[in-house]
Amino acid sequence: MNALFRGLVLGHLRSNKLRALVTLFAVGLGVAISLAIDLANATAVASFATSVNVVSSHVNLQVVGVGRGFDERALLRVQDVDGVTYASPTIEESVVVGAKPGNPFSGEILRVLGVDLLRPLPSDASARVVTPGAFAASGSGGPDPYALVAKRGAIVSQRIADRNHLKIGSTLVALAGDRSVTFKIAAILPPGIAGIDTSVMFVDIVTAQEVFEKVGYLDRIDIVADDARVNAVQAAIARILPHGARVIKPAVRTDEIKRMLRSFQLNLAALSYIAMLVGMYLIYNTVAISVVQRRPEVGTLRALGATRGQIFRTFIAEGALFGVFGSCVGLVLGSLLAQLSVGAVSRTVDTLYVATHADRVFYDPLVLLKAFVVGTVLATLSALFPALEAASTAPALTMRAQGFETRRKRPGVGLALGGAALLVLAYALTFPPPIDGIPVSGYASGLFIIFGGSLCVPLSIALVAGAARKLTARISPAGLIGATNLGASIRRNSVAVASLMVAIAMMVSVAILIGSFRTTVIAWADETLKADLFVRPLGLQDASYDARFSPKVADAIRRVPGVAAVDTFRAISIPYRGSITTLAAVDFKTIADRNKLRFLGAVDTRALAHTMPDTENIVISEPFATRFGVAPGDTVTIDTPGGLAHFHVNAIYNDYSSDAGIMLADTRTFARLFHDDSVNSLAIYAKPGVDLPALRTAVIRSVLPLRIDVQTTRELRKLVIEIFNRTFAITYALYIISITIAVLGVVSTLFALVLERRREIGLLRYLGLTTGDVRKMVFYEAAYIGGLGGVSGVIAGVLMALLLIFVINRQAFGWLIELHMPWDFLGEAIVLVVVAALVAGIFPASVAARMKTAEAVRTE
Amino acid sequence: MTAVTVLRRPLAAFVAFALAAASLAVPREGVRANDGFAIATAPYHFSFPRDHGSHPKYQSEWWYYTGHLKTDDGRRFGYELTFFRIGLRPGDPRPTPTQSRWRGHELYPAHFALTDESGQTFFHVERFAREALGMGSARKGALDVRADDWTLHGAPVGKPDLEGMTMHARAQTPQGTNAIDLVQMPEKPPAIHGHGGISKKAACASCASHYYSYTRLRTTGTLTFHGKRLRVDGLSWMDHEYGSDELQRDQGGWDWFAIQLDDKRELMLYLLRQKDGSVTPQSSGSLVQRDGSVTYLPRDAFAIEKTATWTSPHTGGVYPAAWRVRIPSQHIDLTLAPTVADQELAGTTTGVSYWEGSVAVRDASGQRPLGVGYVELTGYAGTISL
Repeated sequence: MNALFRGLVLGHLRSNKLRALVTLFAVGLGVAISLAIDLANATAVASFATSVNVVSSHVNLQVVGVGRGFDERALLRVQDVDGVTYASPTIEESVVVGAKPGNPFSGEILRVLGVDLLRPLPSDASARVVTPGAFAASGSGGPDPYALVAKRGAIVSQRIADRNHLKIGSTLVALAGDRSVTFKIAAILPPGIAGIDTSVMFVDIVTAQEVFEKVGYLDRIDIVADDARVNAVQAAIARILPHGARVIKPAVRTDEIKRMLRSFQLNLAALSYIAMLVGMYLIYNTVAISVVQRRPEVGTLRALGATRGQIFRTFIAEGALFGVFGSCVGLVLGSLLAQLSVGAVSRTVDTLYVATHADRVFYDPLVLLKAFVVGTVLATLSALFPALEAASTAPALTMRAQGFETRRKRPGVGLALGGAALLVLAYALTFPPPIDGIPVSGYASGLFIIFGGSLCVPLSIALVAGAARKLTARISPAGLIGATNLGASIRRNSVAVASLMVAIAMMVSVAILIGSFRTTVIAWADETLKADLFVRPLGLQDASYDARFSPKVADAIRRVPGVAAVDTFRAISIPYRGSITTLAAVDFKTIADRNKLRFLGAVDTRALAHTMPDTENIVISEPFATRFGVAPGDTVTIDTPGGLAHFHVNAIYNDYSSDAGIMLADTRTFARLFHDDSVNSLAIYAKPGVDLPALRTAVIRSVLPLRIDVQTTRELRKLVIEIFNRTFAITYALYIISITIAVLGVVSTLFALVLERRREIGLLRYLGLTTGDVRKMVFYEAAYIGGLGGVSGVIAGVLMALLLIFVINRQAFGWLIELHMPWDFLGEAIVLVVVAALVAGIFPASVAARMKTAEAVRTE
Repeated sequence: MTAVTVLRRPLAAFVAFALAAASLAVPREGVRANDGFAIATAPYHFSFPRDHGSHPKYQSEWWYYTGHLKTDDGRRFGYELTFFRIGLRPGDPRPTPTQSRWRGHELYPAHFALTDESGQTFFHVERFAREALGMGSARKGALDVRADDWTLHGAPVGKPDLEGMTMHARAQTPQGTNAIDLVQMPEKPPAIHGHGGISKKAACASCASHYYSYTRLRTTGTLTFHGKRLRVDGLSWMDHEYGSDELQRDQGGWDWFAIQLDDKRELMLYLLRQKDGSVTPQSSGSLVQRDGSVTYLPRDAFAIEKTATWTSPHTGGVYPAAWRVRIPSQHIDLTLAPTVADQELAGTTTGVSYWEGSVAVRDASGQRPLGVGYVELTGYAGTISL
């Protein structure tokens, strides 16, 4: 076995170094992509998990509130519960530094944790936050407690200090919603304290309550309870908590976040695995070629007594070898790529879901291990069929002439029938509903489209080769030979075409999805953004809804001459059925007049203006309905600071702003239940004929010294599209990489074909073909492969797009997307692919052209 | 006296976090030590029950109990329960409605330790309360102190004179496995230490405190040990001391002794140590006579000889572990030995540790029991930066 492997595999790889390297790199790239996405996904959750628990690793219970929080006096009752050994009050907020008016992406968001900085940590060696050792080790002494308490002292990380040029004693000016707040840097945390998110700033609870207008409220209490009876303690705390607060184990919050992010992360992961799949096609290709090339050796060995099992294991080992080394390359490459993917993924997560502010990669060893194992196993499996084939061919047959595949009578018909069956199955799989919110059968359907399409490739190659032979017979000898070659090596070319097809299918489907989605969102934005001016907080915002305006802002703006009306919007994140969703408040008295919501089905918006205000009625967004299976007529029960609210669902409306779902309640209801009349954004309707630029200036002036950003409808629409584009940036990156892998596949295949046919090429040269003809011949082959890959890729891609739009996105996110075919893009895509295939042919073509005739024929 | 030491514990937490005690007993660069606080100056006239209460114009204050308890079946325990008040800024500001209720200017650390003399074990736990929401508080004008769920109350019984005050002290671990719930009744009036109402700690003007003790408190109540509630009675000692900026940088620690003799006399002695090892000249003591009168003992009136050492397995600190105490003018010649060797409050969160433990008091030969005592030793484990 060892000798067999060394001779047959390693020897062969040595003489085909370049191709082996290309394969290795392609596999590595595939593994790297999925690893980078997995790491980014894991980091988003891990960053949240660390920020959930900053006081102590021993925290085993948390009291958490919603919206503005719960009455701080709950702390006293919690502390008195038997079995509670430590309770730390916390306020969670965020501020923006360096925001510039007019630029919604300017500035940096800092998470602010308001804790009792004067309270010693629990005696817990692994205390996470500002551990006693942290300052001592840094030798930085400590801040003046009075400054911390009474002068808005802040403890910041080294990173924040460096970025903002802060020293102890310097001031940090930040925006808390509409107010400019000055913090005094009391201490700088030395870098590298385990578990501390470097964009976190600690302030005393006094500062937090006063700056964020939460005097008398807490967002959270971190509790260390007697481990042996933590469940009993939890139950005891639950009994004494006020409404709107709940006591949970810390992991629950992380689980809720995971659940909220699941569809988003799974979709990314699925896309990334397609890249890996393309890599696997390449391994199949490489091993298949090496099987074909080594038929004589295999035949000889079989004749000399090597068993089928030995031959099989040898080629399987080749696949495994690619898997192991490719995965190693992938681990290194993926870890590097993760630096980019973490930024891209966390930006989307922060904007749309939950503020995690992941700023470094969390290298979960399990994720790394998984990438390695999956890469290796898939690679080994990819070698399965070629290895079986090598093992099954008879000794006599394999010793026959080198370089030709066995010809079957009707190449590919059987396979194509199988492929058609898989495609039918794929269609059937679009019908089952999602399992626990995950479109499992939808994903399976996608996989079957890929496999089914791949199985149809050999037949189409045979057909195309036949047609091309007839077409080019008179016109171009090079084209004729190219077409003949295409038909002669169906299996190898099939793999090249199929991998190209998969990559293009992915590109096309994602392009159709994004194009359709974008068109839908633009139409939605045009229809729903009806006001003339929009007021939002200055600078970068995340999904925390922390940046709030005081109600004074809306009142002041209503009084500005030229303003006809002002709509307010307020939202909070709330847990619902094990996930996180959004509860938002708008004024339903005016919403009917403005007709801003697009309802599903027949909804009397006039009637809503009467039924909604100041009642426990809500309307829900479509993703909410999908995610939680809630329909009009149902009741959604939410524990609010004002008591248990039984919201009656009145209608479903069309929304593309959050796949976590939105419940819309009336402003008055919200203020009453959540003791919160603040506002996250406002829409201003101008009186007819008012000069908008002048009105904008007047509005900004009217609220001074409070700070706001005012945008026109056009600017806000641009912002919507910009956020949309940012969200899909990583998807674009993914499919560009898939194309790269596919093109590498074409290079590798053509190169192999050329090398393998050196004897043939030599003969052709003898027969009078010029080097130019040889080059053309290879180009023709490249063009056939590219064209076939392009066309089949577009077909498969359209199918996958339909699947993505009407099944997967519908089931996973609840998005109702209108199909929009980006024809121009599709046309360009096919051209691009053929060009890419031709470019991929350049190197093999020139190798073929440069082949020395004599040397090439000498083998005869 | 005692409490200054104990303030090192929260202090260490602050060195970490850099907090209050920094401004309290340790003058540091950049932090003005007694910013706006009153300093203890003579003459000072104690007035009770007013002075049992809080004195927020001083930076630091403590109510400090040590005692020796006996169960019905003869098991012996020592206990320490101390409430501290640390002022961040003088005065008594009240927050406005838009101001956080956490804005209090006082901190209330507290320490509780139990020495199981029969079982030879030692246990300690701490609390740390902010003024906010009434979690930590100390009333002015009357004894009423709270740190989370640990409380200390004084109530006049019968005539509101000194003898008639009973004190009620409660402390427990969070799980309630160890707790004390004790009532202390004075058998003697408060003993005022030092001269002119101040007890000097060093040469500097502020280096003094107002310091009095109840040296003989009849004590009854319950003690919960490892979850078992036991009826106990015994004898306690209470210190109440307040001042600002009492120590100097060149001081490195101290030894403090509280001895209750069977002949109904009590003795308080303290030796402050300079960093060079010499004894601060202002070290002194008091002898409380049977009738409650107090005899001031200047530095040269007593001699304390260290006769053994103990090395801490927790901190590696080498502590004195036996003493011979002589006061020739009063014909006192005693030996002191810890009832349990390891009574070190080894700081887990603070990093600063001290030894505070019950000692047996015997005659010079070490044979005949003459009383009971408590000793506090600081500055032996690691450095206490003064």
